[in-house]
Amino acid sequence: MSVQECDFVVVGAGPGGYAAAFRAADLGRSVTLIDPRPTLGGVCLNEGCIPSKALLHAAEAFRTVTDLDEWGISLRKPKLDLTTMRAKKDSIVSTLTGGLEQLAKKRKVSVLLGTATFSDATHLSVETADGNQILCFNTVVIATGSRPVILPGWPEDDPRIMDSTGALALREIPQRLAIVGGGIIGLEMATVYSAFGSEVTIIEMADQIAAGADEKCTRLLHKAMQAHGCTIHCNSRVDRVETTAKTVSLACSGAFDGTLEVNAVIQAVGRRANGDGLLAQNAGLQIDPAGVIKIDAECKTGVANIYAVGDVTGAPMLAHRATHQGKVAAENACGHKSVFDTDIIPAVAYTDPEMAWAGILPQQAKARNIDHQVSEFPWAASGRNLTSGAKPGLTRLVWHKPTQRLIGASIIGSHAGELLGELVLAIEMGATIDDLALTIHAHPTLSETTAFAAELAAGTCTDL
Amino acid sequence: MVKELTGISAATPSIRALARKHGIDVDELALELEQDRVSEADVLRKVNGGSAPSSSSGYWDVDHTQYGSGEAVPMSRFAQLAAANLTASQQHIPAVTHHDKVCMDAIESFRKTLADEGTKRGIKVTAMVFHIIALTKALQKFPTFNASLKPGGKELWLKQYCDIGIAVDTPHGLMVPVLRGADRKRIWDIAEQLSDLAKRAQDRKIKPEEMGGASISISNLGGIGGCAFSPIVNPPEVAILGLSRTAYEPVWNGTGFSPRLICPISLSYDHRVINGAEAARFCAHYATLLSDPRRLLL
Repeated sequence: MSVQECDFVVVGAGPGGYAAAFRAADLGRSVTLIDPRPTLGGVCLNEGCIPSKALLHAAEAFRTVTDLDEWGISLRKPKLDLTTMRAKKDSIVSTLTGGLEQLAKKRKVSVLLGTATFSDATHLSVETADGNQILCFNTVVIATGSRPVILPGWPEDDPRIMDSTGALALREIPQRLAIVGGGIIGLEMATVYSAFGSEVTIIEMADQIAAGADEKCTRLLHKAMQAHGCTIHCNSRVDRVETTAKTVSLACSGAFDGTLEVNAVIQAVGRRANGDGLLAQNAGLQIDPAGVIKIDAECKTGVANIYAVGDVTGAPMLAHRATHQGKVAAENACGHKSVFDTDIIPAVAYTDPEMAWAGILPQQAKARNIDHQVSEFPWAASGRNLTSGAKPGLTRLVWHKPTQRLIGASIIGSHAGELLGELVLAIEMGATIDDLALTIHAHPTLSETTAFAAELAAGTCTDL
Repeated sequence: MVKELTGISAATPSIRALARKHGIDVDELALELEQDRVSEADVLRKVNGGSAPSSSSGYWDVDHTQYGSGEAVPMSRFAQLAAANLTASQQHIPAVTHHDKVCMDAIESFRKTLADEGTKRGIKVTAMVFHIIALTKALQKFPTFNASLKPGGKELWLKQYCDIGIAVDTPHGLMVPVLRGADRKRIWDIAEQLSDLAKRAQDRKIKPEEMGGASISISNLGGIGGCAFSPIVNPPEVAILGLSRTAYEPVWNGTGFSPRLICPISLSYDHRVINGAEAARFCAHYATLLSDPRRLLL
């Protein structure tokens, strides 16, 4: 078997992997990008962020149509054509993955379709359709991502029991749907399927949905989800699953003690890092029991010339974290000094309404004994929100009292994810209460709520 | 510091990147500088100047116990505030001190004639009262001494009032209450207000509105001693007049030495606003006014 000499190899073509590959190519390296999928973009583009957002857009449009009556606009009852919807979603995905292919070509990144394992600290074995290839590399970046956790003891190969990938395939709209896990993924799937008519029940082990998000915003989301017809059981777990030809029944215990009869189930209990399966021990790398490869702030693994980025390095498993790490790894591998030096990683739940947060939330500030102040502006007092559908909304800002600096932000409401951008920048730039309060925000906009919340902290608000 | 307490960095992403390029940890630099934030200038100063950043806290970071025993005593909040103002003055004002002497014989003999009436009114007229009056007259003749530089240094703000800051030594630190409208006041009023301000400063009963906004300040060490000193300009004022101990000195009168009561004065001024010749003229004029108090009427 011939050994192919490679310079810079990236394993995994998701957001972390392609960022590392493209940045290294831009810095003059000769790059090989390996992925088992025929299209670039990893989970994010192919079966995660992008297709889910396409379906969420459709869900919102579907729901909006029925909300138009009070505006004096009557439309016929909307009908769903899942085949067309799937095709639309798939065409968006292929536009984006095709775009990535162009970007790779432009940079002369060679893409290898296959599954890589380590032979030693300088060699990878890649299983391709044309057989095994051995690559000898100077630098490797591991960006193999994560996969949905499959609950042990559940029936396998039953199409009614899905993970997030299966749910996004949108084969049908089950009449009754259970979602196990009330995290971001579970909530987004609940948003899609409840809009299209499923009776959704969410079963969550923790005492709140969207664990880790701001408690007050989450309470608003909880109510909004219930208003969409979702039933939510917190502090509850599924003990047993039984299937018949017609139904799947879930025996639950905890706050909800009983049996749930449904037509389909989505497992959304979390994701597992793909550190195992790489035979990384052959390269001298340590993989922890959760499948995570440990890295430092420079994305180094401890083995020279081997870097790791993204979900495979653990939580938070978010595409934008992976992208930044990919660049850090590539730059360090090319002799630059680069560090992933921030904890300010925004998170967005594309629910209805959206919820987005970053930095230190009130409950964390309290737990860490940080001298802080919380100011919040309810969107019931926002003209822009009232004129565009009046969804529930709240902007909450957390300030470090001694320095008056913004240290955290949480928003629930339409476009919360877009509004959060300003606040993440504000935290990174060290903006103070007055910086935000004295910056003119256009009226009427939702972004005004940011300024209003800052004005409330400054004691200068005249809009509440 | 912010990073320690909240985990959020003391510098913006671009400044962090710049610092990293130079091998500097911005959050350690923030601790070293005792600042909540680190600017691009802080980083560059650290790169170029090495160990002498703006606050130079390193100089004071000494383990004194290695040289002998001692005790740490807290600086009052008041003293810390004054220290910040004094440091700002020294860092930002190119100050020069001009020394001169003022003959106080005529003032002293006039002052003595007021003693009886003063006792009746319960008011003691000190030489300081005449210094204040002379200063208000001198400011009228030299308006640039009654001024402040505007930020950016492109404009001078000429004040159309005459408020004199009086530096007072108190047990809790230096205070500078302001005697407002001194040019419109009579000797008795000034004498009365001066003793009132001094007393209330001792008791820490000066109201916030009685501080700040002065035309110029006077620091009088005459009661204690010394023959000259360099007072520090109280920003945003542009000058401060220091008074040392008034004492008899032999003065050549053309044929022999005669004893004259002399008050040494030290005028520190912001050289950006006032040049040396102007300061010398100011002091000479001031000396003339006091050596012949009739001129105060002119």
